[in-house]
Amino acid sequence: MKRSFGQSLSLYGGLLLIALLIVLPFWWVISGSIKLPREIIQRVPTMIPESFTLQHFEKLLQASDFPVYLINSIIVASFSMAFTVLLALPAAYAFFRMEFPGRNALYRTILLAYAFPGVVVLIPLYGLFAKVGLIDSPVALVIVNVAFALPFSIWMMRSFLATIPREIEEAAVVDGAPTTTILVRILMPLIAPGIASVAIFAFISSWTEYLFASVLIVSDARRTIPVGFAGIIGQYQIDWGLLLAGATAAIIPVVILFALVGRWFVSGLTDGAVK
Amino acid sequence: MAGLSLQKVKKRFGETEVIGGVDLDVKDGEFVVFVGPSGCGKSTLLRMIAGLETTSDGRIEIGGRDVTGEDPAKRGIAMVFQTYALYPHMTVATNMGFPLEMAKRPKEEIDRKVAEAAKILHLEPYLQRKPRELSGGQRQRVAIGRAIVRQPGVFLFDEPLSNLDAELRVQMRIEIARLHQELGTTMIYVTHDQVEAMTLASRIVVLRAGRIEQVGAPLELYENPDNSFVAGFIGSPRMNFVPVTVVGVEGGKAMVAAPKLGLTGMAVATRGAAPKLGTAVNLGIRPEHFVAADGATSALSGKVTLVERLGGVTYAHAQLPEGGTITVESRDARSFNAGDGARFGLDGSRAFLFDQDGKRI
Ligand SMILES: Nc1ncnc2c1ncn2[C@@H]1O[C@H](COP(=O)(O)OP(=O)(O)O)[C@@H](O)[C@H]1O
Ligand SMILES: [Mg+2]
Repeated sequence: MKRSFGQSLSLYGGLLLIALLIVLPFWWVISGSIKLPREIIQRVPTMIPESFTLQHFEKLLQASDFPVYLINSIIVASFSMAFTVLLALPAAYAFFRMEFPGRNALYRTILLAYAFPGVVVLIPLYGLFAKVGLIDSPVALVIVNVAFALPFSIWMMRSFLATIPREIEEAAVVDGAPTTTILVRILMPLIAPGIASVAIFAFISSWTEYLFASVLIVSDARRTIPVGFAGIIGQYQIDWGLLLAGATAAIIPVVILFALVGRWFVSGLTDGAVK
Repeated sequence: MAGLSLQKVKKRFGETEVIGGVDLDVKDGEFVVFVGPSGCGKSTLLRMIAGLETTSDGRIEIGGRDVTGEDPAKRGIAMVFQTYALYPHMTVATNMGFPLEMAKRPKEEIDRKVAEAAKILHLEPYLQRKPRELSGGQRQRVAIGRAIVRQPGVFLFDEPLSNLDAELRVQMRIEIARLHQELGTTMIYVTHDQVEAMTLASRIVVLRAGRIEQVGAPLELYENPDNSFVAGFIGSPRMNFVPVTVVGVEGGKAMVAAPKLGLTGMAVATRGAAPKLGTAVNLGIRPEHFVAADGATSALSGKVTLVERLGGVTYAHAQLPEGGTITVESRDARSFNAGDGARFGLDGSRAFLFDQDGKRI
């Protein structure tokens, strides 16, 4: 189908508008983080910074607890991501391939987990963690983050598995590969984009999680960025420069993650298998 | 190398019985082809032999050993799928070596056997390529190579040529025949294409709706079909069936006639009990067994509706007075013209009779 010039124009115009809506706030935050305080609070905001300073970053890294929060967040998010992937993969495979009673009913209900807002389970979970002595421990956050990321991750992983022709697995079975080998040697390489998607989803969910992190973690030294940061900026008055520098620094690990797993997002992995 | 034995093998998917009690013995080194229309259970039966489907009832033996409940990998079989089922992220060499790697064979043995198989299948230049960088025929050869390296007792093929274009199909058919000669291994081959069945098989198993209709050598099925289903399935174009009446019986022959079709009386050999006089039966004549009307003792008359001239042979499609149609093969390209009335000479010695249930008389 060929688009007319007018259609193309409105399509690209629309895309540009949406892109601007998404990119502008980011640009404003990032560019603001290197502006001098007086330029930040100028009545008419500048799109292109007229001043340049690293004072906000210096303050963030040297005079605030941000580095501690950053490390806490990286630890919690990395473990949450790793466990989510490690658990979602075999679970999705079981839902996809293994026969057991109640499989379909269970599969249909796992997404129901999202029908309950986090607050509903906050108090019972708090009680539970208090009993086993996990309050104020990053382990509690990892458990909560993994539990919340899993249903969707399983669901997403299963739909990636469903794109792999059955005969490939059957050929591997005939070739003598045990189930774990099939999963690791055959299926995992073929659903690399799915694994990458799940990993990013789990990392970002954990990275931005506020509610549980604010309740289950008590001591300042164990806070993650979203909670700890809220403390930094609100203690006496809002330090806009610090806020923007912190927001910018918080994006960096996510960007690095995207760069690392981005190369897994390749299409056509199963080309040549069955056609 | 191994023979194979199926004993009262059944398969049910829930309530539906897809394979209804199959008995079959395959001798070591035989090339057996399962044919039948789409959906008749060929793949299911093959997959049961492979162990990819469980057996609901009955017993499967490979090389004299009961493997009914055995894992596919332990049955001593190798399977080639219609869709190749290659591992797309592995090279040709890794694909072919995979079963040996799973069997924990030493690396030098894997390399040697992969090299041997690659040589047999002319895949040597492609060993380091990925499947997506190969043509369809090469991919199917890799799939066959992966089966060869295991040195299985039985090869299982499920319509391995169906995804290839016509020319390649003929080429690969010859290659598979050569492979069987070279390796001498038992092969079970599923196809819905009766030409593949006729050319490859040492024995053909004709399946219909999960049951065996007839087992025999290709020419046996062609020359001596047990029923109209087998008669219609084996041979191309299909056998013609014309309704006739038994008007006389003598000495292993029945005299049949269809006055409205211009057939006044023709003797056709029968087997078993002689049919009763006046019975309505079906006369089966293959398109290639019509003879010139001049000089033939009996003939059918009809109206030619379409003539297909292929050069070497010509097919005339004709309408019979009572509504049926027949296809007639002729070596003479000019013997029929569309729209003409014509007489088609019959040779009673090459015709068959079938009762109303399709059973050969
Ligand atoms: N997993 C299954 N569940 C239910 N029915 C099936 C299954 N596999 C095959 N069948 C049915 O069994 C019949 C035979 O299928 P199949 O063996 O694939 O036929 P063929 O290979 O001869 O075309 C078909 O009617 C098909 O619908
Ligand atoms: Mg089939």
